[in-house]
Amino acid sequence: MADIKLTRVEKTYPGASEPSVKGVDLQINDGEFVVLVGPSGCGKSTLLRMIAGLETISSGEIAIAGRVVNDMEPMDRNIAMVFQNYALYPHMSVRQNLSYGLKNRKMPKAEINRRVDDAASILQIGALLDRKPRALSGGQRQRVAMGRAIVREPSVFLFDEPLSNLDAKLRVSMRGEIRQLQKRLGTTSVYVTHDQMEAMTLADKLVVLNAGRVEQVGTPLELFHQPQTVFVAGFIGSPGMNLWDGDVRQGNLVIDGVEVARGVRAPDGPVVAGLRPEALSLQTGGDGQFILSYVEELGSTRLVHGHFNGQPVSAQMTPDQPLDQVMRMVFDSADLHLFDAATGARVNSAPAIDAASTPETV
Amino acid sequence: MQTKKTIFRSRALPYLLLAPQLAITVVFFLWPAGQAIWQSFLRQDAFGFSTQFVGLENYIALFHDPSYLNSFKVTAVFSISVAGLSMGLGLLFAVCVDRIIKANRAYSTLLIWPYAVAPAVAGVLWWFMFNPTIGILSYALRQMGYNWNHATHPDDAMILVVLAASWKQISYNFLFFVAGLQAIPQSLREAAAIDGAGPVKRFFTVVFPLLSPTTFFLLVINVTYTMFETFAVIDASTSGGPAQATNILVYKVYQDGFVGLNLGSSAAQSVILMAIVIVLTVIQFRYIERRVEY
Repeated sequence: MADIKLTRVEKTYPGASEPSVKGVDLQINDGEFVVLVGPSGCGKSTLLRMIAGLETISSGEIAIAGRVVNDMEPMDRNIAMVFQNYALYPHMSVRQNLSYGLKNRKMPKAEINRRVDDAASILQIGALLDRKPRALSGGQRQRVAMGRAIVREPSVFLFDEPLSNLDAKLRVSMRGEIRQLQKRLGTTSVYVTHDQMEAMTLADKLVVLNAGRVEQVGTPLELFHQPQTVFVAGFIGSPGMNLWDGDVRQGNLVIDGVEVARGVRAPDGPVVAGLRPEALSLQTGGDGQFILSYVEELGSTRLVHGHFNGQPVSAQMTPDQPLDQVMRMVFDSADLHLFDAATGARVNSAPAIDAASTPETV
Repeated sequence: MQTKKTIFRSRALPYLLLAPQLAITVVFFLWPAGQAIWQSFLRQDAFGFSTQFVGLENYIALFHDPSYLNSFKVTAVFSISVAGLSMGLGLLFAVCVDRIIKANRAYSTLLIWPYAVAPAVAGVLWWFMFNPTIGILSYALRQMGYNWNHATHPDDAMILVVLAASWKQISYNFLFFVAGLQAIPQSLREAAAIDGAGPVKRFFTVVFPLLSPTTFFLLVINVTYTMFETFAVIDASTSGGPAQATNILVYKVYQDGFVGLNLGSSAAQSVILMAIVIVLTVIQFRYIERRVEY
């Protein structure tokens, strides 16, 4: 059991002109499941590898359970890591793979066997113990890799995109298993992924990284409902949020000269206006500003794509709603997320849940 | 895999196209091999006036000849030493180069150079350095109190040829080990580091076992090399001496046949060598084609 504290952690690779991780401050509490999410190259894996001790820390400090680990070898940090490619030892059987780390720590044989058998029964890989990794399927390898982390009973689990080599269906079920397992063991976990859906479903606390910086930290729902930057707004949520360039003039949102919403709580100036596709509905009936381009059928819902004054728009609708070539866009101005056009920072206050709101029609 | 089949209109054309390669094989391989086998059943008198068919007598005589049996022993010692030394050092250098990131290309290039040196030159080079009169290394050894003389001490001579033959082969082994090391995913070593294995333990429990296909391949190649391709090294440095101490099988074939003019015995020896090559080649193809794959 341990908490992790990152203080102004930076990483500059040799020969790089710019740091890959820039001054990250982060507090991970004991037993928490924290997901680092961001596009590729955002520094999330580097950050994880610095916690693991596989990368040196250029400046700043990482402490695990109150001990500064900057100069500690990976083996002394009491962590276990699950790698993207599983990194199972190909010349060892599953049992040897699981017990390798324990043998290296000179654990008595009886204890090793007990832990391996425990982990095998938790992960249902008991029948595979004598096989070599090459004789396992992707999902089974994934379980063995998890098992290797579990048997160590470490104070921190580190996951480096562990599900990205699995097919979509298996990924969803393994996701659920990882979540349950972590809750059951109560071990502090740090999980890296580029998949925002995986991040949302797994995390107690979500950390969105962009270009080596932390964009926002919070629960998945906080990030979904109150993104603090344009980047988070666009990254979190599927389908992605509509983002339009516009202006706020005396409390009105104007997009390309068209006044689309009144009474927004933001100072005047150029903004990026965000609206989730689920908060937008389209109505048929002759006039309107929305021009239909194409429709994605998802079964229970349909995604309708089009544009409005040249800016792309998507809306999530139920299949029973009628469609037309030209439609009216209807939404609640309280659902708008407004961001400063220059800095990308949020400018309107959070929509109050029970505030009286007026539907806008464009 | 799909192979492209070409249909020839004339039946003679495919044979004609194969003819040059077949001619080379027949003239330079099959015919001499046949000659050697035939020769090994014959005996000639000292002046070459008469030739007589003697059956397996040449072979029987060989296996009763202590100098031939000694040559087997010398060859075994030589092969094992060269294979061990050159593979050991090749691996050591490969591991060192694999650890450095910046200049590893430069080091690799430098380490490959000895392979370009002709075997005879390598032999002469080491013979010079160890020359009891003018050699710098024998001088250094004398300063340390060891009287080096490969012209009279059998052990010194063996060490000399082993060094000269290994030196060239290190480059080759190095190259394969570097490639083998680079094929091992970095994440395996990282996983082992997290699993509490220090660098040395990591090497012996994870890296080296994963190199075993490369190691086995190199072992066969090195044994073949030392048995058959070190003729020039021996000839240029010790000429098999002193007192047969470095007279390996392939050199003895030359000595008995071309220097001693005992053609029958020499031919029988080459037939035996040929059998050894065939066995090694079979091993190589059998086990290396479907080598220990992970």
